[in-house]
Amino acid sequence: MWKVTVKGILSKKVRFLLTGIAVMLGVAFISGTFVLTATISNTFDGLFSDIYQHTDAVVRAKETFSGNFGSGRGTISADLIPTVRKAPGVALADGTVQGLAIIVDKKGDALGSNGQGAPTFGFAYIPDRQLSTIHVVEGRGPRTPNEVVIDKKSADDAGYKLGDTVPVVTKAGRNDYTLTGIVKFGTADSPLGATIAAFTPPTASRLLGTPGQVDSIDVKADPGVTQDEVVANIRTALKGAPETANVEVISGTDITKESQNDLKDNLSFFNTFLLIFGVVALLVGSFIIFNTFSIIVAQRSRELALLRAIGAGQRQVLGSVLFEAVLVGLTASVVGFVAGIFLAGGLKALLGALGLDIPASSIVIPASAVIWSFVTGLVVTVIAAVAPALRASRIPPIAAMRDSSVDRSSTSPRRAVIGGVVSVLGLALLLLGLFGNSGLIYVGVGMAVVFLGVAILGPMIASPLSGALGIPIEKIKGITGSIARENAQRNPKRTSATAAALMIGVALVGLITVFGASARKSVDVALDRSMKADYVITSPGFGQGSIPLEAQRQLAALPNVQLASGIRSGQAKIEGSVEQVIAADPTKIDSLFDLQPTHGKISQLTPNGIAVLDTVASDNNWKVGQHVPLEFAQTGKQEFTVETIYKQTGFTNYVITTDAYERNFRDQFDFQVYVNAKGGVTPANTAAIKKVMHQFPGPKVQTRDEYKASQAAQINQFLNLVYVLLFFAIVIALFGIANTLGLSIIERRHELGLLRAVGMTRRQLRSSVRWESVIIALLGTLLGLVIGVVFAWAMVKALHDQGIEQFSLAAPQLLVIVILAAVFGVIAAAWPARRAAKLDVLRSIES
Amino acid sequence: MTETLSPPNVGVAARAVDASKVYGSGEAEVRALNNISVAFQTARLTAIMGPSGSGKSTLLHCMAGLDRLTSGQIYLGDTDISHASEKELTLIRRDKLGFIFQAYNLIPTLNALENMTLPMSLAGTKPDPAWLDTIVQTVRLGDRLKHRPSELSGGQQQRVAVGRALLSRPEIVFADEPTGNLDSRSGAEILTFMRKAVDDLGQTIVMVTHDPIAAGYADRVVFLADGAIVDELADPNADSVLDKMKSLGA
Repeated sequence: MWKVTVKGILSKKVRFLLTGIAVMLGVAFISGTFVLTATISNTFDGLFSDIYQHTDAVVRAKETFSGNFGSGRGTISADLIPTVRKAPGVALADGTVQGLAIIVDKKGDALGSNGQGAPTFGFAYIPDRQLSTIHVVEGRGPRTPNEVVIDKKSADDAGYKLGDTVPVVTKAGRNDYTLTGIVKFGTADSPLGATIAAFTPPTASRLLGTPGQVDSIDVKADPGVTQDEVVANIRTALKGAPETANVEVISGTDITKESQNDLKDNLSFFNTFLLIFGVVALLVGSFIIFNTFSIIVAQRSRELALLRAIGAGQRQVLGSVLFEAVLVGLTASVVGFVAGIFLAGGLKALLGALGLDIPASSIVIPASAVIWSFVTGLVVTVIAAVAPALRASRIPPIAAMRDSSVDRSSTSPRRAVIGGVVSVLGLALLLLGLFGNSGLIYVGVGMAVVFLGVAILGPMIASPLSGALGIPIEKIKGITGSIARENAQRNPKRTSATAAALMIGVALVGLITVFGASARKSVDVALDRSMKADYVITSPGFGQGSIPLEAQRQLAALPNVQLASGIRSGQAKIEGSVEQVIAADPTKIDSLFDLQPTHGKISQLTPNGIAVLDTVASDNNWKVGQHVPLEFAQTGKQEFTVETIYKQTGFTNYVITTDAYERNFRDQFDFQVYVNAKGGVTPANTAAIKKVMHQFPGPKVQTRDEYKASQAAQINQFLNLVYVLLFFAIVIALFGIANTLGLSIIERRHELGLLRAVGMTRRQLRSSVRWESVIIALLGTLLGLVIGVVFAWAMVKALHDQGIEQFSLAAPQLLVIVILAAVFGVIAAAWPARRAAKLDVLRSIES
Repeated sequence: MTETLSPPNVGVAARAVDASKVYGSGEAEVRALNNISVAFQTARLTAIMGPSGSGKSTLLHCMAGLDRLTSGQIYLGDTDISHASEKELTLIRRDKLGFIFQAYNLIPTLNALENMTLPMSLAGTKPDPAWLDTIVQTVRLGDRLKHRPSELSGGQQQRVAVGRALLSRPEIVFADEPTGNLDSRSGAEILTFMRKAVDDLGQTIVMVTHDPIAAGYADRVVFLADGAIVDELADPNADSVLDKMKSLGA
């Protein structure tokens, strides 16, 4: 029996290959994701070990909350440094200060911080090489307040030499410094592309931190003293010292591990994001496996019946089909796994091209990549083949004596009920996930279940729908169109399973297209309603301010500027979760940005007051006058009072005053600056503003319209990333169409031969295969778009509170998708059509 | 297509001249047709008979442009088709020839009428309604035109195939064992229609068969053995064909 199976596979290599490709692509995606994240993780592991290799202990503030980018930790008093130094076993101890410092190149542009690039660090320069993560390789360290050292890569990129004047922008504004040294970070010219500017510790405190405060104290122990011993000694020494309630001491090993783990947590989100697409690809692949095996079993029913007739048991037939599935799954997993290693590089380049530049050293292949590749590849293939295998085992021996008949069955009340129930169940899960508090996993599972439900209903709608789709084709193409239409309709189960694979990919593309258009429209409408400023100046990067306050002061002083005011962004823990808080000048914000207050006035917001978005207020049952504690990294718990409730979504959920921000946050940078000028947007005004901002390179100066366009562009950038990732699922579905058509052609070779014999030209035959493919592709696309639009509509409704208030059908984009689907249908048919046209007329008729 | 150098043969619809067909080479060489020259008269039903492997099907396929000769010429009317391109052959089959096969004769997704008009649809032309009517009446399918092949009996399916072969007024109809899959009553019916098409409509038909009864309907029977013509019989009947077959030792 095994022999029969293996020989069968060997005789159908192309079919074996095509079936495998579907699984292979999905597996490649999964393996590539694991390889990529492991590679990134390994790079950072190495970096952190490097950073902390001489550090035996670290003294720092306890974490108030775990926010993003480590902002949930305050500073400690620099006065603790002598105390730590006196502890037994401490060889060296010094305070570290880290902040934002943008190096300006000779052309006046910012180094490094273009958009979402690597961070731009400012450090306190610690002369002792053993304590410092950076060390001078050329020149010397800074000694006076106007001296600086920068990393070798920045120096090379900008062409700075020792003794040059280097402008650096910090929260103190832009200042010129003399370059006294070039530093390296460990052995690297620059840590993963980040720029470094380091100053003397007092200067660093002033420019980057808070005078008298340090981020942490790094400690090197005496020789022979273990990390644990020195940690214990420092703890003892700090007992009784002032201001130590919030101070903790940890060992160098622990902080290395902590940093590595923090990064892995951040990466796991990224990992999950990419894996979703791998799972989608495999889901699509499973439809194709199911369909291919169904067709193979149908075509081989006579052969299988013959095997049964000469004594093969049901179990043997079942086993033989499943064995083939195992072989397909195994082969596809091996190839997919290897392809994934190459794909990892491609994924990295793709994310890089879209602005998410990820550092990575040599490729790391984790065990998880191997395990998941094989588990998913094999399990998906075998599960998809179970139903066809069972059907094969039920073929009665008598079928060997009968003519195999075409399966036209499609409608049974049972199918309608099961399909309907599954679809509704999926929709319910989806809605539960979107509107309830059940979370994203319900959304994902709900969508998958809806796909399954529609796929079950598929055969019932496939025939009438492809018949309808075929009518115009029949009108245009005559008999070839008519044959294409009839062929698409003749086996509804097969047509629908083939279309279902495409449906999944298209539904997701449709979902994000419609959702993206809705988000763009919502942002557009919200900005039209609220943004009153003529100009918006925005910090690069995600959510972190980097515009020195000096910029706003100089802008306000311009003769043509009526009003210039900045907003600052920070994080605070509110009601147990870390939230973004925006700070604004209450006297000015009203005329620049309309928050549409429903209770109270923004302009009357006091330093202890907070303005809250109406939906947030109602969710928490807050009224005006309610006391709300906000927990800040630097200052801990502070009481605020709800003074204003507003309904302008898409800005932020919480607004405090800049006074409150200055009291509770260390770094004072504007996140955005809004400017109103006399005469609105004019070339002269633009030039004047740009001239001021030229001193502070990095932030973008945009008119209101440009700002609106750039907000839309940001959404588009994300959409593009998702499109590229979903393209995989579409490609797999195209292989599915090609595979189904190829198998159908083998099955129909008698009638194809007959058509050729009675005068169908090769061109006509190719055309009819192509149009059949187009009908299947359009069927899958239309089903997918309907589902996608419904999903998008539900999501828009669910995210109403988050500022997605508008629903936009994005009809032009959807039309483009339909046209693309038809084109893809033609592409998918290329190989089967050629194959059909090449069939030898005589042999087709005779065999 | 090249013009023939020989003078036109009046009353000949198709002919083979020194036709040879060789499969394989060396030891494995098989001569399916060995220098055959034969002509098929217009408005006649000619039967080709012979034992299995005698080359009768190969001759039919080559005459019909479905297969190519190794050497020699095939003329349809005055046209030499032996060197026509694949595309030219397709168009010749579509416009000038009709086919009736033993099985797999109809496209399962098209109904009876669509199957009958298929060659003309492929050519982008419409049948003359009066002629269509004549054909439909000849094969007696009036009430079955909208039915698909799966809803027709074997005999009805073959009647559709005969209708299709006749509808485009081909110069010649080739039939390959047209009654091979049918019971004797349906077979007789098909043969009667073919006979009528020749007598009433002036159609030329060449039919390969191994059934003496079927050959009895023909105007002339050509006997093949080992790729060569060994004998022929004019105005045959089933008995005379059977006698001839016995004498040939087939």
